[in-house]
Amino acid sequence: MAFIGAIGLLLAFTLFAVPAEEAEGGAKRVAVRRVGHPDPAEYVVIFLVLVFITAVEVALYYVEDFPRKGMIAVLLLLSGAKFASVVGWYMHLKFDSKLFTYLFVGGLMLALAVFTVVIATLQAGLV
Amino acid sequence: MAQATAVAHGHAAETNTGLDNRKLLMWLFLASDCLFFGSFIATYLLYRDRNVTGPYAKDLYDIPFTSVSSFVLLMSSLTMVLALAAIQRADMRQLRIWLVATALLGLTFLSGQAYEFTHFWESGLTLHQNLFGTSFFVLTGFHGAHVAVGVVILLSLFDASLRGKLTPDDTLAVELGGLYWHFVDIVWIVIFTLVYLIQPQ
Repeated sequence: MAFIGAIGLLLAFTLFAVPAEEAEGGAKRVAVRRVGHPDPAEYVVIFLVLVFITAVEVALYYVEDFPRKGMIAVLLLLSGAKFASVVGWYMHLKFDSKLFTYLFVGGLMLALAVFTVVIATLQAGLV
Repeated sequence: MAQATAVAHGHAAETNTGLDNRKLLMWLFLASDCLFFGSFIATYLLYRDRNVTGPYAKDLYDIPFTSVSSFVLLMSSLTMVLALAAIQRADMRQLRIWLVATALLGLTFLSGQAYEFTHFWESGLTLHQNLFGTSFFVLTGFHGAHVAVGVVILLSLFDASLRGKLTPDDTLAVELGGLYWHFVDIVWIVIFTLVYLIQPQ
């Protein structure tokens, strides 16, 4: 189940992949993807999307006949989408240097790997 | 290599990477914090349903209340990014408004956590009552501590802007504070789902 969430995150970051533009002149530099910033209206739209997703998650919690495994998968995907949205837009990772992405996603993947190994080894479970 | 002294967002720093080392360090710190919280979350999932005695999660969790807390923290992420947008267009008044709003929302979240902890404690769930209690309080307690540190950072930025120490050239300082604050929010996104919504059967 943890892998479903990880796959969701990876898909979200894949969607953010934008061809990098090389910085001009001088020593080799890590490419910056985009110089512009979202405007405040875009941030508000992202917020409304996050609130909507949270409402869907909470509503799903109260659906009694929903299969548990399916519910867990959907909840992990939804939280993965929220996670990626905040990281991509609010933390500007989508618009910043790819080096920041490598650093953060690298640490995140390492954390997920440790998490998965612990869960699998010691047989804790979501399901 | 020459180090940049003050770098506005989007301008290349005089470093090997063209990136400000302070921002690089912040992202590195956040990556390490992922490991920090990942281990606590794994421990919680491991221990939450291996208890000899109660109380248990299903007896205590108030999902509507925690949902409101989640909404508060989400809104604080919005106000934080609006604060950054304000300083980037040199609007210091709006910056201060959004910084205070973010800090107040953070304090509201912490108040909710304090209420929840008190309620759980009075219901018999203590740090040493059972494995669920230990892992829950450690995980959410450390998250709360991170939020508290974030509030201190926000109020420090607010104070600096009042005293004229924070100028429109100092967007990086607000950006770094914002990165930390958004990280605290995304950790809660994970905690809310894994701890509260996906309860043990």
